[in-house]
Formats: sequence, structure tokens, C-alpha cells
Amino acid sequence: MTAVALPARSSGQTRSIRPLLLGLAALIMLTLVGLPVLAILLYALFPHINEWSLAEPFSVLLPNLANPHLIGATLNSLSLSLSVTLLSAAIALPLAYRRAQLPESSGRIWDALLMLPFLIPPYIGALSWMQLLQVNGFSEQLLGFNLASFLYSFPGIVTVMALHLFPMIYLATSKAFAVIGRRYGDVGRVFGGSTLQIFTRIHLPMVLPTLLSSGLIVFVLTIEEFGTPEILGSRFGFRVIVTSIHEKLSDWPIDLPGASVLSIILILIAFAAYRLHQRLANRFSAAIDNQQVDAAGTERTGRQRLIDLLLFGSAFFLAVMLPLLTITASSLLDTLSGGLTLANMSLKHLSGLFDLDSEAWGAISTSFGLALAAALCSVLIAILVAFTVVRLRTRGTALLDFLSILPNAIPGMAIAVGLILTWNQPFWPVTPYNSSAILLVAYICLTLPYPIRMLSAALKQLPQSLDDAAYISGASEARVILRILAPLLAPVALAAGFIVFAISTRELVSSLMLAPPGVQTVATYVFHQFDQGSINAGMAMSLVTILVSGSIILLGQRLPGAKIR
Amino acid sequence: MKQLVAGLVIGLTLSVPAFAETLVVYSAGPKPLSDQLAKGFKAKSGIDVEMFQSTAGKIMARYQAEKSNPHADVMISASWGHAITLDQEGDLLAYTSPNAANVPASLKTSSYVAQGAAALAIAYNPKSGVPTPQHWADLALPEYRDQVTMPDPAKSGSALTLVQGLVTLDADKAWNLFDQLAANDVLVPGANKAALNPVLQGAKSVVFGAVDYIVIDAKQKGENIEVVYPSEGTVLAPRPVMIMKSSQHQDAAKQFVDYLLSDEGQQLVAEQYILPARTDIQAKRPGWNDLKIIDFDAGEAAAQAAETQSKFAEIMAAK
Repeated sequence: MTAVALPARSSGQTRSIRPLLLGLAALIMLTLVGLPVLAILLYALFPHINEWSLAEPFSVLLPNLANPHLIGATLNSLSLSLSVTLLSAAIALPLAYRRAQLPESSGRIWDALLMLPFLIPPYIGALSWMQLLQVNGFSEQLLGFNLASFLYSFPGIVTVMALHLFPMIYLATSKAFAVIGRRYGDVGRVFGGSTLQIFTRIHLPMVLPTLLSSGLIVFVLTIEEFGTPEILGSRFGFRVIVTSIHEKLSDWPIDLPGASVLSIILILIAFAAYRLHQRLANRFSAAIDNQQVDAAGTERTGRQRLIDLLLFGSAFFLAVMLPLLTITASSLLDTLSGGLTLANMSLKHLSGLFDLDSEAWGAISTSFGLALAAALCSVLIAILVAFTVVRLRTRGTALLDFLSILPNAIPGMAIAVGLILTWNQPFWPVTPYNSSAILLVAYICLTLPYPIRMLSAALKQLPQSLDDAAYISGASEARVILRILAPLLAPVALAAGFIVFAISTRELVSSLMLAPPGVQTVATYVFHQFDQGSINAGMAMSLVTILVSGSIILLGQRLPGAKIR
Repeated sequence: MKQLVAGLVIGLTLSVPAFAETLVVYSAGPKPLSDQLAKGFKAKSGIDVEMFQSTAGKIMARYQAEKSNPHADVMISASWGHAITLDQEGDLLAYTSPNAANVPASLKTSSYVAQGAAALAIAYNPKSGVPTPQHWADLALPEYRDQVTMPDPAKSGSALTLVQGLVTLDADKAWNLFDQLAANDVLVPGANKAALNPVLQGAKSVVFGAVDYIVIDAKQKGENIEVVYPSEGTVLAPRPVMIMKSSQHQDAAKQFVDYLLSDEGQQLVAEQYILPARTDIQAKRPGWNDLKIIDFDAGEAAAQAAETQSKFAEIMAAK
């Protein structure tokens, strides 16, 4: 790269880092996400690509697409995702709006508490809702009623999934509300606007970009989510695309190319959702060029305090306490059939985990080590990608942006197949496959969408004028990133890191496929307990993991970096 | 510089231990069993075993995805159908272990052999208050309305075998029974564990076609659950052991299969309440002489498996 090739700018030399950044971001994204997705696409077109052969091209496309059940499953997937996204937004918005009015101290506690649903693996969550609400479940044993008919219904699945996913929207939009500050609302109030008017006319439009982008994540997460539809949906014949994909991946006869074809449908849906989100976001983009840093806390009347407490308390109770209490109760039960009685209480499943020779310790340390590494790598990559996509805006960044959401749209198990196809080739001089590194690669790939979404949303809200001021003062790109953007993004980066950490500690399906021989993670341990051992022992392991990673996150919230705002 | 490169190359080659042989085994089923087998084999032969432990389906998926560069030397599946498919594709190495002499003919072929088998049974929760079931057809009676679960033949190889077995016994009667079960609001929630859990938890009362060793194991751990083998007969779900043709360690793989079928290997199988494949090994549960097994052609049944599955699914969807 010579100086001649650079645009005629005064600071041409310092800006030569741009192509480097773009190249690096593209290389990382293409390697981590592009290759496995490409492998899935190729597998759908060439069903013998796993044997490194192009025989019988296109032979599996039509038979799979012509399946009469496919249309129904697609419609189910779409309506489920749409409903979950809407309900999540409905739960999250009032909370996020009120969050901006809370004093910072209690607000941060609620933030941390409402992050806990991420720690509960969806399949554990679904199982615990079942144990709580089914016929003769915990609620019936304790209080004499069951909600089985609600749980095994479309609204039931939507509620369970929304209670698990709404924090995604809450965390993002509450940050956006905080950035807007209260000044705009105060102005509105001075001119006689009602609370509702101020919310719908002033605040809502301003957080809409964030709402849309976090809603997009919830949408594609729901499309991809397997555990809940499988566990609850199978009770009333509710089939979605991802359950069909899993059938092809794990039920006899195994049909990997067929699963790849169906994965493409999910990719297309995700693409359509992404485009729609782009168009909406462009229409409603709201740049806030003078960032507000309000003094924390407003005067809340006693009534408002009570309402806030009820609002946050009930969200916490439903989304966190109920599932957690159920998991705790299950892990304390000696036998499943013994029911929730004092005589059936036992610490044996919990204490079994702490036997020195138990495999549980190995699984916990493997998972936590991998999750920590994944959080670190994902966030670093995400900062790079977010900067490239948001600030550089050159050709190709749109592709990067779309790539960054794909891993959320494709079922983890299909990604795992893509990763095997990619990294199990003899021509690679070194490969992560067949070592624990492949799990790290998988976790980074699967979790990248979260930090990238969160950081690019945050970056979009930071005014470009900040960068420009620095450039004018002669700062290099690296300096702008390190000295200006990075510190401002630190709280978001930390929150994103926690999400990656939490999700990696409990990632199930790809771990089950990819773990090298002899390596166990928390999720595979739990799964083997569910599959062949005892549910209660599996629940005990889940509980310990949730508590440990929860405390790590709570501790992390107290890191100095988290206290910027 | 050249020396450095040469040194690196030598260092890298040396770091891969060329002589210490390692056998890669993909196994479904009880993890403690796999671990004990790996340990026992190492003690006997000095050969290390790397065990990839997962479900039968995920083992197959991993094997398929790895095909251009395979790693598995031996696979132990929980589904006989997997072995039939792989054998048809020519992926299996022909081997008959000398230790397989006492394995019944129905549980061995020239290229795969059963390690052991589960029997399919009725499992019921005695606390639930339903009468003790005796026959498969009992579960279509009004007393069991809305109380029965059944593993899905599309997701459980053993449930598929049961359907195939009952159909072989008397096709009209069997399909009629499934019609009646559907009318009796049987729940078909997924694979084996998904059918058993609601019964343990008390939401339902009876499993039609439970994998017996899992139920016996649960009972040993204090669960309220009983196993009934209907007198009209049941089927076995054998666990096939296969040596892959692509294996680079075929001798070690054969030794491993010999070990699985040795007295010691079969004892370990028996410890898990699985029916050992060898009829001369004492089972810790109803054994070869206590069970009435429906005899049918597994190969033919496998060829019709898709048809059987979809017919079953139609009946259950029609209720």
C-alpha cells in the first residue's frame, strides 16, 4: 500500500490502518462464521461433500423442499418468533423505560438480576416450567392447581420463551433510554405533554433503532431455539423448522444434507428479517449528538416507587425466581417419583458433585475456562467488527454485518456439522478439530452476534463528531479506538462479555457434537445425567453452574470498568 | 534458518507419539459403562481408548460429517438400524470375534455384533393408582385413558423395533392397538427419557415400550416404578458394535471387540442392568430364559422403517 493509493487526506499516513482493520475483520468473520456457513450451503447442494465428492448435485434440494409438512413448520416458526419478539418487547419496554428513572444503585442491581435468565439454559428452563406446572407438578403438590393446558399451548411456549429472552431487549433499550437522558422528556412535560405522549412521541422513536436491533436478535434466537419447542411443543404436535432439522440430524435415518437444506430456509428467514430491520432502522435512525449525562435518580413519588418495585419484582419473580426455585427444589429431591415432600429431600445430588473424584469438577473447569476465553475473544472480535461496520462503512461491511447475525439464525447443531466439515479436512496444516479448541471456536462463532449487535448499537449512539474531533487533533485510528471509543464502550463490552460467558457455560448441542473424545462440559454432563442418569443430579449440576456463573457476573459488575456511567 | 526449520519439523513429528497406539471409540449409552470398558481394556491390552460419548444419533451425525477424514475406529450404537445402514453402505469391517460364539444368531452378523440388549417393556408408577397392566393391549382400556406415554418410533430406535415386532406378530391387531391407544389419548412426547419422566414425576402413569434397563436402574435408585414384560412377547433393542473399515488400527479394534465380548466386558454390561449379548453370562435382571422374544427379520424391518414410522405418525396425528 503506497501513499499514492490513499485518498488525498491530510492525515493519509495515520489512516492507513483502515484497510488493515477491514481486512482483519473480514478475515476473522469469514473464517469463524463464513466457512462453516459455506460448508452447510455446499452440503445442501452437494450431498456427498462430506466424502469430498460433488456427486449427485442438487439431488436433495427438491425432495426436502417438497415435504408437505414444511410449509406448516415454516409458518409455525415465523408466528412463534414474531409472537415471542412482540411479547418480549412488551415486557422489556416498560422496565427499560422505568430503569432510566431509577437511582443508579438499585438500577444496577435490577440489571444484574434481570441478566440471570441468560444463565438458565433454555432446555432446563422448559423442563423446570414443566415440573412446576404439569399435572401433579410442584404447583399442584403445593398449591393444588396445575397449568398444564396453558403450558402445552402456543401462548404457553411464547410466554416461556419470552420470559427467557426479554432481558436481551431490556438490557439494550434501558441503555438507550439512559443515553437519551431525561431532558427531552422534561421539555415535553414543560409543553404539557402527558406521560403517555412523551413516551410514544419522544422516547419511543428515539430508542427505536435499539429496540429494532435487539428485537431482531430475539427474533432469530427464537427461530433457532430448539429446547423449548422440542420439550413443550412436542406435547401438542407443534412443529417448527428447527425441530425438523434436529430430527434429520439425530434421528434415524440421519440426513445431514436434508438438515442443511432446511437450515438454508432459516438463513433466508434471518436474511429477510435482517433486511426489514435495516429498512426500518434507517427510517427511524435517531442520532443523539449531545450525549446526556444526567445526575442519577429522579424524585420518584412514593406511589411510583411502589409501582417500580412491583414491576421489576414481578418480572424478576416470573423470569428468574420461579425457574430457579424449581431447579433448586428438583436438585434437592432424592427421587423424581417421591414428589416434593420432606422425606424425599436429600443433599446427595448436590454433594455428589463435590466428590473429589467426580467428573463434575472437570466439566465445570473445562466449561468455565472455555467460556472465559470465548468471552474475551468474542468481545475483542466484536469491537473490531462493530467499528468496521459502523464507522468505516465501506463496501463489504454490509456483508460483514449480515454474517455477524447468521450464527444466531442457524441451529447450533447445524453449525457444528459445518464446523466439522470445515475443520476436519486433512489439508489444514493445523486445525482446532479434535481438541478442546474446536469448542472455543464453536462458542465464539455461536455467541459473536450478541457482542457485535450490542457494541454496534452502542457505537451508533456515540456521535461521529467525537471521532472527528480526535482525527482533527491528529489522532490515528488506533488511538481513536483505544483512547476514545474503547473506554466509552467498556460498560457495554463488559455486559456483552457476560452474556457470551453465560451462554458458553451452558451451550449444549454443539458441545455434544464437537467435544473431543474424553472432554466433558457442564452441558454434556447435565445432558448425560438427563439421558441415562437422574434428572435431579442434572438439575443439581445446573444449579451449581447457574450460581457460580451468576456470582462471577455479579462480581464483574463491580469491576471499575463497569462504572463509567 | 534451515536448521531451525528442520529442528521444528523433527520436534513436531516427535511430539506425535507414533507407537503408543490409541483407539478412538464413539459410544452411545451409559457413560459409566463406556468409562469402565475403556479402563478395563487399557489394563488388559495397554492400548489407550479415547471415548467420544454421546447419543446414538449424534455419534452417527459426527461420523457422517467426518467422512472425508474419519477418526472413529469402533462405534457402539444404541440402535441396530444404524449398523444395518452403515453395513449396507459398506463402511463396516467384517470381523467375527471368537468370543461371539455364545451370542445368539439374531444378535450378530459377519460385520457387527451386539454388546448387549435392552428389552422393551411396560413401566408403570405404582403410586399412580392405575391397575397393574399385564398386556400391551391393556393400555388401550379406559382405566388408562390419558395416563399412557410412548416413546416416538421416529426418535427412539427401540420404540421403532417394538412397533415392528408387534406388527410382525399380528399386523392387523398391532395397528388396531395403536389406533385405540391414540383414541385413549396416549402421549408420544419424544425419545425414551421424554416418555419415562412424566411417569416418574406423576403427570402420567404408564410407559408403553420403556427401555427396561433404564427403568430397572431408576428403581434401584429408589424410584417408584415397576417393569412388566407382557406375556405375548416383547422385542430386544440390541446395541451393535462396529469396526469401521476406515480404521487405521484394525487389530486394536478387533482386540477391543474381543474384550467387549469377554467375560469381563460382559460382566460390566450386566452391571448396568443391560442384557449381556452372551447367553452364558448371568444377567442381573430378567435374562434370556425369562423373556419371550418376538422373532422377526431386522433387515426387512429396517427396509420398511420409514413406512412404519410415517404410518405410526399418521395414526397419532389423527386422534
